[in-house]
Amino acid sequence: MNKAYYITAGELAKTIEEKKPLPTELQSSKHLIYSSPATLSFNSPGAKGFGVKRAALAIPDSVMLLVAPACCGRNTALLNEIGYSERFFYLLLDDTDIVTGRHLNKIATAAAEIKEELNYTPSSLMICITCVDALLGTDMDRVCKKCFEKTGIPTVPAYMYALTRENKLPPMAGVRKSVYSLLKPQKRISTSCNILGYFSPLYDNCEIYPLLKSIGITKVGEIARCKTFEEYLSLSQANFNLVLNREARHAAQYMQENLGIPFIELTRVYSPQKIHKQYQLLGQALASPIDDSKYYEATLKKTEYFKKSHPSLTFAVGEWLNGDGFEISLTLLEMGYSVKEIYATVGDGNENIIKHIAKISPQTRVYSNLSPTMLSYRSEGDIDIALGADAAYYHSTKALEFNSETQPFGYQGINMLLDSLSEVLK
Amino acid sequence: MKKLLKHISPFAPDISGACSVLYETGALTVVCDAGGCAGNVCGFDEPRWLKKKSPLFSAGLRDMDAILGRDDRLIEKLTLACKQTEPVFSAIVGTPVPAVIATDYKALERKAEEKTGIPCICINTDGTKHYDEGEEKAYYILFKKFAKEGTTPKGNKKAVLGATPLAASVSDKKELQKYLKEETVFFSLGSDISQYINVGDFSHITVVSPSGIKAAQYLKEKFGISYDIDYPFIPEHILEQIKNSKRTLAIHQDVYLKGLRKRGFEGDCATFFKRVQEDTMILKEEEDLKNIAYDYDVIIGDISLKKIIPDYKGSFIDLPHFGLSGRELKNEDP
Repeated sequence: MNKAYYITAGELAKTIEEKKPLPTELQSSKHLIYSSPATLSFNSPGAKGFGVKRAALAIPDSVMLLVAPACCGRNTALLNEIGYSERFFYLLLDDTDIVTGRHLNKIATAAAEIKEELNYTPSSLMICITCVDALLGTDMDRVCKKCFEKTGIPTVPAYMYALTRENKLPPMAGVRKSVYSLLKPQKRISTSCNILGYFSPLYDNCEIYPLLKSIGITKVGEIARCKTFEEYLSLSQANFNLVLNREARHAAQYMQENLGIPFIELTRVYSPQKIHKQYQLLGQALASPIDDSKYYEATLKKTEYFKKSHPSLTFAVGEWLNGDGFEISLTLLEMGYSVKEIYATVGDGNENIIKHIAKISPQTRVYSNLSPTMLSYRSEGDIDIALGADAAYYHSTKALEFNSETQPFGYQGINMLLDSLSEVLK
Repeated sequence: MKKLLKHISPFAPDISGACSVLYETGALTVVCDAGGCAGNVCGFDEPRWLKKKSPLFSAGLRDMDAILGRDDRLIEKLTLACKQTEPVFSAIVGTPVPAVIATDYKALERKAEEKTGIPCICINTDGTKHYDEGEEKAYYILFKKFAKEGTTPKGNKKAVLGATPLAASVSDKKELQKYLKEETVFFSLGSDISQYINVGDFSHITVVSPSGIKAAQYLKEKFGISYDIDYPFIPEHILEQIKNSKRTLAIHQDVYLKGLRKRGFEGDCATFFKRVQEDTMILKEEEDLKNIAYDYDVIIGDISLKKIIPDYKGSFIDLPHFGLSGRELKNEDP
C-alpha cells in the first residue's frame, strides 16, 4: 500500500452508526504501534508531558524508587533536565529477578539506603513498578508496608503497567489515584473544593476561579499548586471535587469512598455554547446558579471578531494538544472553517462528535497517529494552519502546538486558542 | 547496595543496542513490548529518530497477550505492517515481557517467515543488560543470517563494525569518516542490509566497540576477512589532554580506551561495559567508581559520572558517551 491510511468522517460516522467494527488501522490493539516523532511525547512521555514517573511525583517533597529493568528507566534522564534529578532512584532488575521476583526482598533495604542518602526526610516514597511486576502479580501493598515499617516514610505504589493501557484502570488513571492516596479523612469545609484531572494547574485567568467564588467557594485546591506536604494534606478538606479529565474519575471515586468527598465531572470543550451549558448544569448540580454571561458574551464577540479577521481557513488538527482533537475540529467547523485532516484516536466517547463532524464535513480525513502506515504520510500542502504538536510535525505550514503544561479550560481556553491562532496567522 | 542507582540514570539497555544496529538496515523492527521500551528507544536512545525515518514499531502487547502467550496476534500485526511498509526483512527485539513468559523466539521467527514471506530474525534481548550486549547479538545474527555463504574476500573495501550512536556518540557517518583516509563502510551507520549480504566486498574490518568483536571473529572464520580492534575517531582535544596522563583514569567503552592507549595514553582504564583489554577495570556499581576515583588527578569520562563523586577535587575532562548518558559528541567536540 505504502500510503498513510485514512478514512473520511462520513465513512467513519457510517461505520459507527451501523455499529460495525472500526477499521483495523483505527484499533490500536490490532496493529503495531508507531511512536512517530509526531506523537512521541504523547505516547511515551519523557521531558514533555506527564507519564507515570513524573506524575507520581506530584506529591510535594516526594521521591521515587523505580524498581525495574534498566530499559524502563532509561529516558528518565530527560526529566533530570527539568529539575527532577534529585528525586529519582533506581533499583535495577537482572534476568533472574524478572523471572523469580527475588528483587521484592530488596526494595525495603533500598528504601532505607535512599533515606540515608538524602539530607532530608521526603514526604513520601513512590515505588514505581513496571510490566515485569504486572506479570509476576506483585503485591505492592505488602511491599509498601514493609518499606514504611523500615523507613517511617509513607510509601505508595505507582503502577507503570504499559501492558494494561487499555484496561479499566490504565496507568495514567492509576497514578492519579496513587497521588491522592495519602490524604486522610478530616473535617470538610463547605466553601472549599478541588480541581482534579491535571498535574499542572489551570491558567490563573481561567474564569472557573471567579465563577466558583461567586457562588461562595473561597478555596480551590489543585495538587499542582501545593508547595508543601501540608498543603497537599489539606486537599481532603474539600467539600466536593470537580473532575476535568476523565482519567481522574477513579481518583475521584476513591476520594468519594475513602474521604467522603463527592465529585462532579466537567469536560474540557471549546465550543462557547457547550461551555455555557456546562456552567449552567454545574450551577444546578451545586444548587447555586452560576452567572457566566459576562464571559460567555465576551467569548462570542471574540469568536465573531476572529471570524471576521480570518474568514476562510483550512485546518489540520491533531491530538497532541490541550483538548480533544475531534471536539476542537467540530468547534472550528461550526465556526465555518474547513478541517481537512484530523489525527486522533477514535473512542473515549467521541463517537457522537464524529457523527456531527460528518454532517458538516463528510470529506474530512481521519488518520490514526499510531498506524504504521503513517510512516508514509506526506503533506499535500493545502493546509493553512496545523493545530497540535503532531499536526505541526506533519505540515511545514503555520502551526500552533497548543500543548502548554499549564492547562487551558472553559472560556479562557477558547479565548486563548483564538488569541494564539491570531498571533500565528499575523 | 548492589544495583541501586542513587546518582545517575540507567545506561542504554540491550534493546536499544539491538535497535541501533538494525535502524538503517531496512528491517521492519518490532520491539516486543507494551509500548514503554519502544518509547525509550525512539524517544531517547535513537538520535536518528528525528532525522531519518525507520520502520521501528512497538508490538503493543497487552496483559492478556502476555498471559495467554498470544504470539499469533503478534504475527498478524507483523504481517499487516509488512504489507503496508514493504520491508526487506523483519526483526523482533525482545524485552522483559517475553523474557518473563519465556517466548519461543525460534517458533516466532519461523511463523513470521511463513506468514510474511520475507526473512525474520529474533534478538533475545531482555532489557536487563547493557546496550553492547544487544548490539553484539544483532551484529552476529545479521551476519549469520544474511552474509552470503562461500564468499571470499575478493574486494578491497574497508569497513567499520561497532560504530552505533550508542558506542560512538555520533549519529552521522560523516562525523567519523573525516578521521579516515579512504571511504569506508560503517555497518549500522549509513549502510543497509546489502552490506551485510555482500560481505565478500570487504578485505578488512576495524572493530571500534566491543559489540563488534564476536561478529568480526565469525567473519574471519567463515569468510577469511581480517580485522583489527581500534578506535581511530578520537578528537584532537582529547589527544592533547592525554599527553601527560600518568595519574589519569579514562572511562568509556573499552575499544575507545584501547584507542586512547594506542595514541599515547598512559593512565588507567575503566569501563561499565564489556572489557577488551585485560587490565581495564570493570565498574559494575556507582560504588565501584567512588572507590577508585579519588586516587586520580584527572578523570576523562562522561561528565554525568561526576554526580557519583561530587567531592572529587581533581580535573574532570568531559568525554560524552551516548550509551551512558544519552549525550552526543557532535556538539561537544570543540
